[in-house]
Amino acid sequence: MAGDGPPARPNIVLIVADDLGYSDLGCFGGEIKTPNLDAMAARGVRFTNFCTGASCSPSRSMLLSGTDSHLAGLGNMDEWTAPNQRGVPGYEGYLNKQVVTFASLLHDSGYHTYMVGKWHLGKQPDLIPAARGFERDFSLLDGAGSYWDMTGLGVTAPRSTFTEDGKYIDKLPSDYYATKTYTDKMIGFIDAHRGDGKPFFAYVAHQAPHDPYALPDDWLRRYEGKFDAGWDELRIRRLSRMSEMGIMPADATLAERLWYVPFWSDLAPIARVLVSRKMALYAGMVENLDYHVGRLVEHLKKIGEYDNTLFIFMSDNGAEGTDVARMIAGTPGTRDYLFHVKNWSRNDPNAWGRPGSNVTYGPGWAQVSMTPFRQYKGWLTEGGIHLPLIVAGAGVQREAGSLNNSLVHVMDIAPTALEMAGVDHPATYDGREVARMQGKSWAPMLAGRTNSARGENDWIGWEMWGSRAIRRGDWKLLWQPKPMGNASWELYNLAKDPGEREDVSSANPQIFNELLAHWDEYVKTNNVILPSRTPFESLEDQLPMRIPVDEGYPPVKFKTPFVPPRESAPKSKGSER
Amino acid sequence: MNLRLWSASCILLSVCAATRASLAQGDGPRMYWKTLTNSNAVTLMPMHMTGNSNPLDPAHVQPPDSSFEANVAMLGYTRTLDFFGRSGMASVLLPVGNLKGEVSGLPLDQQDSATGFGDVTLQLDVNVCGAPAMNDLEALQRYEPRFTLDLMGSLALPVGEYDSENILNIGQNRWYGRFGIPMMVTLGPWVPGERTTIELLPAVWLFGENDDYLGQSLSTDPLFQIEGHVTRDFTKSFWGSIDAAWFSGAKSEIGGASGSSLNNIGVGFTLGYQVTDNLLITLGYFSTINDNDPGDFRGDEFRLNFTFGWNSLIEGMKRLSEEH
Repeated sequence: MAGDGPPARPNIVLIVADDLGYSDLGCFGGEIKTPNLDAMAARGVRFTNFCTGASCSPSRSMLLSGTDSHLAGLGNMDEWTAPNQRGVPGYEGYLNKQVVTFASLLHDSGYHTYMVGKWHLGKQPDLIPAARGFERDFSLLDGAGSYWDMTGLGVTAPRSTFTEDGKYIDKLPSDYYATKTYTDKMIGFIDAHRGDGKPFFAYVAHQAPHDPYALPDDWLRRYEGKFDAGWDELRIRRLSRMSEMGIMPADATLAERLWYVPFWSDLAPIARVLVSRKMALYAGMVENLDYHVGRLVEHLKKIGEYDNTLFIFMSDNGAEGTDVARMIAGTPGTRDYLFHVKNWSRNDPNAWGRPGSNVTYGPGWAQVSMTPFRQYKGWLTEGGIHLPLIVAGAGVQREAGSLNNSLVHVMDIAPTALEMAGVDHPATYDGREVARMQGKSWAPMLAGRTNSARGENDWIGWEMWGSRAIRRGDWKLLWQPKPMGNASWELYNLAKDPGEREDVSSANPQIFNELLAHWDEYVKTNNVILPSRTPFESLEDQLPMRIPVDEGYPPVKFKTPFVPPRESAPKSKGSER
Repeated sequence: MNLRLWSASCILLSVCAATRASLAQGDGPRMYWKTLTNSNAVTLMPMHMTGNSNPLDPAHVQPPDSSFEANVAMLGYTRTLDFFGRSGMASVLLPVGNLKGEVSGLPLDQQDSATGFGDVTLQLDVNVCGAPAMNDLEALQRYEPRFTLDLMGSLALPVGEYDSENILNIGQNRWYGRFGIPMMVTLGPWVPGERTTIELLPAVWLFGENDDYLGQSLSTDPLFQIEGHVTRDFTKSFWGSIDAAWFSGAKSEIGGASGSSLNNIGVGFTLGYQVTDNLLITLGYFSTINDNDPGDFRGDEFRLNFTFGWNSLIEGMKRLSEEH
């Protein structure tokens, strides 16, 4: 534990946003109003180099266990377990018993442990939050669903599964709206057990802003028209602000825009209105999330727990650029399509964001959310795994409002929380051997004694749906299948090239080989089994042929109309106006 | 690109019907909904009306012991305008058809009829609250009215067929017009298939003098009218409305002899169906309810309304969609 750091055993509030992009928050260069999170950042530290998994359940398994998802049971998402991974330890599709959650350890050490929101780590009675260390919970066990009721997203989960205090429930509060209700419940848990002297760990796992986008009426149109400038311009503006704020280097360049996203300037005006409304809804979701984060923070201030609370705010993976609902619904004549017609077809643009509608903003806006990075959720490019992180409050003795550029990972949060609480991670739990934590505690760094939780030679590995990556310091080795990658290893220096534009492997063979050796070690250590099937296996056939994206090419589409020089202009009546 | 969009737009477009200054039923529901600037609508509205007053006379002058029957059609054209940045709507209306009636107690024929064209009415409606002009599809897409308030004025020109020897005429032989304040409140979302509105039209009619009404002078006091509708979408293309109107005033004086003022209430219903993107058909019935006394105005009316609407922007999008 940090010797001169926090008061003994602080409360810990861990807030997770679902699919929130790197640059969406105001304090990370976004134009979306997030005053409460900005205030949290102004009081604490923003980490500009925070990495997660490329999708939700693997990230969450690493978050709660402190170790790699391939050991924790989420070597693949449950929904996409490949034939060659079935039955293999580490690929159970739920948080397995080879790991122990830090919630369990905190609870055993005397913490109250509360959870609200999305779990996505198992539905069986021995896998739900109450069985994994949370004494109170109000949890959506699925990966997504309606914000208004228990409607699920497909025939394999037609009705969302919720638990409350360890019991499955079949009814939600009458005024249920996910973000609001999760906050209400958490406030209720905290209040219910105040005064017994125990600290608490509050895990607030919001659904927002995961699709399907949903907003109360008075939030629906707050951003209407605010994104008419389009995704190309918005990326430029965001990067400019990020550079001004020091979040990105002044000479940072944007990642290559995705070749299958149309140039904004090429869209008809009416198409821009409809497409920008999707981003407007997403922005409303983010602001609404911030509002409810603010409610929780204000409540802690009101009850006198604010000063002794460590706040951690993060996103679980890159912004979502895939229309998962459409992927699930499939084609007419299928049972999932019928399910969507019955439950999710309130699809008039004026109904978007209301119950029964199912909207997501697609790859164009996901690129904006992940400015300046490449690609989005599901991929191991920075757009899939490089997310915002704010740490503030008890135990944080770094300069208020400062930035930290060191490499940190979602696996680090468990060891950090345990160290702050003065709890050791055991070798066995409930008579079983449990995997050691691979994350690094931030406690010394938060106390101001170090600037990084990792040394120069520390590395981190990833595997997701066949994509592979190794990160050591500023270097990143990446392999992605076609068409999103080249199906070959590439090397990037992220300090110079955060957009992963220039493969520098041929100029740095030694580093390339060292990182390749790390990959081999990563596979071996974590029992990585490359999947024989993936959700993106037919992507190359679905997407248009990958072509280079050159701004302004071809001129026949992008040149501005010719106007004769003023002195040579024809003297017509109209020209005098 | 987006079929859904122009489909929705066309729904809006074709409800932009020519307003119909007819009788107790009033203008009807959804008559002041807004749509794209420079939209056009042609209306054909066949009506069958019965009662004790000439149904084409807005003042409802009642000859004693009379009964009338009319089979007329209202022809109309409306164009939406950008009126200094606000949504506007200009209309022209022309009634045409046949009137038959029986009158007793006057030194005239007991039975009479008239056939031909009525008075041309010009009308201008301008929004002052809640509906800026929609000059492009983007504005239309973003239009989600909560409360709208318009100023409306109309003027009927005494050009219709008129025979001073005849108690029944399609033309009224006098200038008349009205000022009104159409208002609409939306309840719930503005989503096709789900829209619910409350609509109100307070208006006052003003009448010029007919200096040759059966050889005498006819003057009429102003008529105050409040028309109300509660409308509701049943599906994206089918909607209904409950209609009511109250009208008061219009005390007439014929050759120095005063009549009585109107104070009547009528109720009815309207059903509307969007047949195609361009064609809307409505069916309505309306009847006065406090009409038991011999001197009360009585009126019953069935009417159909065929409205064909178009806008060059939307038609262009349709062509593009068909070609690609």
